[in-house]
Amino acid sequence: MTRILGLVALIAVVAASANALFVVPADVNQGDAQRIMYVHVPSAWLAYLSFGVTALAGIGYLWRRDLRFDAIAVAGAEIGVMFTAFAIWGGMMWGRPVWGVFWQWEDPRLTTTALLLALYLGYLLFRRLTDDPHRRAARAAVVGLIAAVDIPIVHFSVEWWRGLHQTPTIGSPDKVLNPSAPGLFVIALVSMVAAFTLAWAWLMMRRYQLARIEWQIEEHGRLGRITAARRAAMAALPPADGAKEGA
Amino acid sequence: MQDLAFVIAGWGVIIGGLAAYAVLLLKRLSLARRVSIGIRQQAESAPPPDRPA
Repeated sequence: MTRILGLVALIAVVAASANALFVVPADVNQGDAQRIMYVHVPSAWLAYLSFGVTALAGIGYLWRRDLRFDAIAVAGAEIGVMFTAFAIWGGMMWGRPVWGVFWQWEDPRLTTTALLLALYLGYLLFRRLTDDPHRRAARAAVVGLIAAVDIPIVHFSVEWWRGLHQTPTIGSPDKVLNPSAPGLFVIALVSMVAAFTLAWAWLMMRRYQLARIEWQIEEHGRLGRITAARRAAMAALPPADGAKEGA
Repeated sequence: MQDLAFVIAGWGVIIGGLAAYAVLLLKRLSLARRVSIGIRQQAESAPPPDRPA
């Protein structure tokens, strides 16, 4: 199942990328730089999705105390960090030829996205503070929920405040059926979003599997340390009464 | 193509990064599976644990 999904995702990414790079015409105003949007937008969408999954899995853990939810949460956070970095990178590569700058700290979308990246990098580092899987899962769930507050702020920042970043082209409810971009561009973008989402699903499944195995290895290590400590404590005990009498 | 360097840099890092992460993830998974199998085999062949006094 996972292998088939991986293969389908690979074919979808290759086909959608070929269409976006070589078939769809260049934008009249932005030229070929606009093609960067075909990887920038899916990356941003998958960053939201990943962190949303992390937050929901955190709620799931706090509710059920089941470590499988924590495995989903860490998968979402790690993959979300990667897609956030991709979204920032793609935005910078598009911003330089179109806006004239790679980055502008005054722009609310850019700044809140950088904050989102920092928050979830912090989440991943925070997880390393304790070895106890349940304590770690509970603390991480709370941190993941707090960090998730930034997701709607990033998304709506272009509507709440003025900045360099444009308002949504197809992402707002009033533009879903009437996008302010030609149909060919929208089809190319939606194909890339679909292909990247398939790749995301495959990555999430694999990362979840890894988290489960890592947890088992970690648990074995913990049990080994406890057994070694117990043996050392027993060896340090004074000899039993029978042994004294015999001496 | 205009702004070719930016298009290549944008696409290259994102698609290349995605591919690199996927390969790295498979390697990490394969290593973890090997360690996990080793632990299981070790546990099966180990003597029974000490009984509490």
